[in-house]
Parts: sequence; structure tokens; C-alpha cells
Amino acid sequence: MRSVCLAFFRQHHARAVRPLLVFLLFIAGGVYATNYSLWINGRSNTAQPGNYADFTYWGPASTAAGVNKKSVNWDGFSRVSDQNYRVRDALDCYCTGTNWCYIAAHSAGNLQIGYALSLYGGTARSKKNATPNSSGVCGNSDGSTQTGWNIKWVNVAAGAGGGSELANVGSWAVSDPLTSDLKTATARALYDHSQTRAKWFYMYAGAKGTLYSAVLPGQDDEAVAYHSSGGVSGNGGAGFCNPSDWFCNDLTLGTAANEGGKAKWSYHSVAFRDDAEALNHYTNGAWGGVVSKVRADMAANAN
Amino acid sequence: MTRRAKTALLVGVVIALALMGWYGFGADNDTTLVNNVAGGSNPSRGLSGPGFGASNPAASDGGPYSATGLKSRQEQLALWQGRHERAEQIFASYRDATRYPYDSRPIAEHPDQVHPFAPIAEELKLRNANGEEVKGMRLRTTQERVFLSGTESVKFTVSVRDENIRPLPLVIRSARAQSIPDSRTPIKLVQASVVFSDDGTGADDASGDGTYSGRLTPVSQGFQNYGGTIRLLVELTADAEQGVAHFDVVYTPDVPATWAGVREALEAGSLNFYLKAQVRTAGRYVVSARVDDANGVPFALLQFNDEVAAGIREFKLQVFGALVLDKRPAFPLRLRDVDGFLLIPDKFPDRSTMARQPGVVHVSAIYARSRFSAAEWNSEERQRYLEEYGKDAETARRQVEELSGR
Repeated sequence: MRSVCLAFFRQHHARAVRPLLVFLLFIAGGVYATNYSLWINGRSNTAQPGNYADFTYWGPASTAAGVNKKSVNWDGFSRVSDQNYRVRDALDCYCTGTNWCYIAAHSAGNLQIGYALSLYGGTARSKKNATPNSSGVCGNSDGSTQTGWNIKWVNVAAGAGGGSELANVGSWAVSDPLTSDLKTATARALYDHSQTRAKWFYMYAGAKGTLYSAVLPGQDDEAVAYHSSGGVSGNGGAGFCNPSDWFCNDLTLGTAANEGGKAKWSYHSVAFRDDAEALNHYTNGAWGGVVSKVRADMAANAN
Repeated sequence: MTRRAKTALLVGVVIALALMGWYGFGADNDTTLVNNVAGGSNPSRGLSGPGFGASNPAASDGGPYSATGLKSRQEQLALWQGRHERAEQIFASYRDATRYPYDSRPIAEHPDQVHPFAPIAEELKLRNANGEEVKGMRLRTTQERVFLSGTESVKFTVSVRDENIRPLPLVIRSARAQSIPDSRTPIKLVQASVVFSDDGTGADDASGDGTYSGRLTPVSQGFQNYGGTIRLLVELTADAEQGVAHFDVVYTPDVPATWAGVREALEAGSLNFYLKAQVRTAGRYVVSARVDDANGVPFALLQFNDEVAAGIREFKLQVFGALVLDKRPAFPLRLRDVDGFLLIPDKFPDRSTMARQPGVVHVSAIYARSRFSAAEWNSEERQRYLEEYGKDAETARRQVEELSGR
């Protein structure tokens, strides 16, 4: 479209309308305010890194999942610190200048966005033009910088910010570098989880776990336990459950401390607790499991 | 057609083309798809856009006052009421939270940071080397830290309890630490034994309590040229049952900076602690310190995160004036439990730690409250957020009003 406009102007009265052309290119180039929905994957991702249109990890790309949705696509294999640049690149691309973002994260994607905000959330970011190259890096818009990114809120499905006991005992079949970061002690020491720079993390916790119930304390979704997916502070190993379980402390909805007194990380609110034990950890290439709840909220409210 | 008329026509055509192009670039295709779960892909656009009536089956079937039209309107109202509630909550909480800067916070906001050097304690079911559960036994472990550098060491403890939480007699069959390379290229592994005991000597605090303790000092146990994960595997026998415990630490041999004292200054209505350091490696440093009041009540978490050049430098940690006036801590304040590291972007290990400073490292002077500023914090970032969050809340409020017929 831009090339058509340019050709049109070259042929007709270029001098007379040049100021208008500059203005129109300005808004067409992404400087005008736009909202985006960024999806940050978890472990094991076969999508093409840097390709924000590749939703292989999640499900059909045609599915509604928030306004102007982009798939961040880090490799889901390496250490969080090794791959965090992918997340920061995406945040720079779409969440600077006049553009704002809604964030959705799954599993280890929780660690990625938490790490980025806690350790890099107050750094100077170059304002970008929301036009990525093949590596997922966008060009600068006006050469200026801003402090941190423009983020409205963060939805987290089956968050692994507090690690998983499966990583502690090596239950995952492949011992990849990321699994080391997912050990509960390591995940919780990686950064200050309460330092979100006052952005809200809405936590969606699934409970359809049976296979690893002997390993994961309290309620779980077959990969992470409620202490992580519910954003509970403290050490790993603590069991939290649905209210129907009388022998285990409840994971409370919202921001209130859990039964037994253990607090959640600040700016973390449990938006969904799987009382029906109906949702597991996995997307199954169809926006499935707990992700289905986050997708619904993104589709409805990331506008 | 006159020259002026031609120009006006051209301008009109160009604007139309540009707007079409802008919409083409700005919107994802999926925003027009039906979302069965949420009841609509983008209700805001559907409501306020010119095509709402034509593209909404309910409206076209029976008009806005038909049963389906009213139902649709009620659904939209509920949606916008939810958005409004969320937007107001986000705006208010952000406004209140950023009364103080992000790096000078009430410590109650950071529950994991109150006692940062407390050992990391976990309790799990005891498992054998194959990952199978050992019935009726629970493994209790502690590790002193995850990240360490230079000559620092890390202490580990293990104990096994029965279902009645009674300690069971243990035998430590072996305890081996090994480097865990992240690289897919084979490199030489480093291995070392770690001695565990329950005799009240060395790393062990109490003799015969059933808790065995061991200490790993990477620099003197063969890891002095290694940076990365060190995994400790402890094999044990408890009540004739065999089990294992795993621990990971992340080690870097280099120490990027060393501490060199503290000074304080009351400046512009806030109390600033300047932590001096001899910085060997320039880069982004992340430093955290806790402040207790004179009665030992935890009061504030202070953080530093900025680029620092090599040489003798100062890390400025601020006790924000309004925080003092709001929380009214008893003076003098006690600065304690300081930790810091050089943050290394896009690499693993991603940090090289400075030596921990446990306990009280500085006691402030006593200041009258009148010397602190009541002004709330402000910055371009805060204004940007308040403007955007406020706009979202106002938009949602208007939509609710419109849909409510007010």
C-alpha cells in the first residue's frame, strides 16, 4: 500500500502535497498508537525464532487471541538468560513509543517475562517502529529512548515462575539447559518475582494432574504445582489445593494470602483456579489446557 | 477542473488510500474472527465501529430491541463492566504503588527479600535413583544459596523424616559435585567429592541430630576455571531404604567488584546510602539491601540497577522521603543483608556475584521527620503509565454508560 501511495505522489503534484505525504507515512509507519498482544511460549518450541507470525506452539494462527497478536518464539530449550533477548526484542518492537502491549505467557514464559521486567524493566529502551526483520529486531522509530516498556497487564497460564518439582527430580525425559532453570530453588532465586514495576500478573492455574501427583505437591496440572502457577512466594515444595481438599491449604483467588498465611508475590493475582480439575498444562497445538482460559481473556479484553 | 480543485481531490484520494493502508498494516486478521468462548473477537471495535449493526447477526435479525438484540447488548455491557473494573483497579493500584520509586519500596511488598540469606529449605517425598517414591519417608534439604562466585562456598544439609516427622538414621553413601555443561559440544567434566557429616564439626551445626551437612567450595575443589552449573548428587540410605538428593548451584570464578564501605547523606528530602565498591568489571550491576528500623522491624527494600564503570564507584540506595513519612520507622535505620551482582546479558551464567554482606552493615544517623519530603515520586515513565491507564479506565466507563443508556 505504501508503495502505491508513493508512486501516486511522484506522478502528481509531489511538491504540493509533500508535507501531507510525510504526515501520512509517519502514521502508516507505526508511530500512531497501536495495541499488541504478545504471546510468550514455554518449554519445547518448534516455531521459527524471530517470526512473530508463527503460532505453531500455541495452535491455529487464525484463532482470536487478542488484538494484533504476535508470537514471541524463544527456543524453549536454552537457559532463560540465553534467550531473554528474544523477549526483549519483541517488547522493544511492539511495546515502546506510542504502542502498548498485553502479554500472555505460558509455563516457562512466565520466567521469561518476569526476568525481563525484574532485571531489565527499568533500562533505557530504544523506541521501535513495530516492523521486524527476519531476526525479530525492529528498526528505531525516532532515535529516542524511554524507560522500560509499555505494558498494560500480563496473563500467565500454568506459570513456571516458581519452578517445578519435576525438574528437581529430572522427570522430564530430556535434560535440557532450561530444565536446570526450572528447578524450584533456581527459578525462585533467578530474580525478585515481586519486582514487576507495578504491572499486574494475572495467574491461571490448572489442576488436571494425575500422572505426576506423587512428585508435584498439592494440586498440579501435570507439569507445575499451584505454588508456582498461583504465584506463591517462598520456597518450592509447598502444597496448595482447591477448597474441596480439606487436608491441604487453599490457593486463594485474587491477591489475598493463601490458607496457612503464605503470601503471593506482589502484583500477582490468581484469576483462575481450576476447581473442576478440568485443565492440564498442555496446549496440544490447539490453544488447549489452561491456555484456553488465558486465550479467552485475551480475545475478550486485550483490545 | 481548477488547479486548486485538482489538488483538493488528490488530497482526498491520498487520505483515503493512506487510511486503508494504515488499517491494513495495523490490524491482525484474527480481530474479525468470531470468538466462541469469549462471545466476540473484539467487542470494542464491534460496538463503536460503523459496521456494528450490519455485521452483528443479532442486530440484523431482530434489531436492537429484539430479544437477541437485547441479549447481545447485555453481554456487551457485562464485558465492558468487567473491563472497567479491571481498568480502574489497574489505574488506582499503579498510582498508589508509584508514590515511591520502584527501587525504594516497603519490604512487605517483597516477601522473598526480607531474609535473602536464609537457607533455601525444601521438603519432598524421598525418591530413589530411578525417581521412584520411597514410601513413608520425606526428604528435607537446605542449600545456602544458588549463585556464588570466587572463593565463596555453599552449605547443604539433608535429613529424612518418617510420617511422624521423626528423623531417621542416615548413611551418606556418596556425595559428588559435577559440572553440568550447557554446551552441546563435549567438554571435560569437573568432579569433586563433598564430605557430609553429622558430628557437629565443619559445616555441621549439631552432632547427632540426624541432619547431615556438607560444604562445597568450588575454587578449591577443581572448579576454579569453570563457570556454570555445578550439580551435587547425594546418595543416602535411610532405614535400609536408598534415596537421592540433587542440588544445583551456579558458579563463576571471577568476582566483578568488592565492597569498600558505606556513607549516607540526606539529600532533597530522602536518605541516601552510598555503598562504595572497587569495580573491576564495568557493566550493569544489580544491588539489593534491606532496611530495618531501630526496633529491628523490617521496613524497606532498596535496589540499584544501573550501568557502572570500572574503578572506585558508589551504588546509591535511596530511602525515599515519602516512604519514611508514611511508614514512620524508628530511627536510626539499620542497613543490612546486602547482595549484588554484575548482570551479564544474553549469557549463562548471567551473573557474577559480589560477596554477600550479611547482618547490619551500617547504622544511620537520627533524623527529624521534618527533614524528609512528603512529595510523591514522579517520572516520565509514571506519567506515561498514568495517562494510558487513565485513558483505558475512562474509555471503559463511557462504554458502560452508553450501554446502560445513561
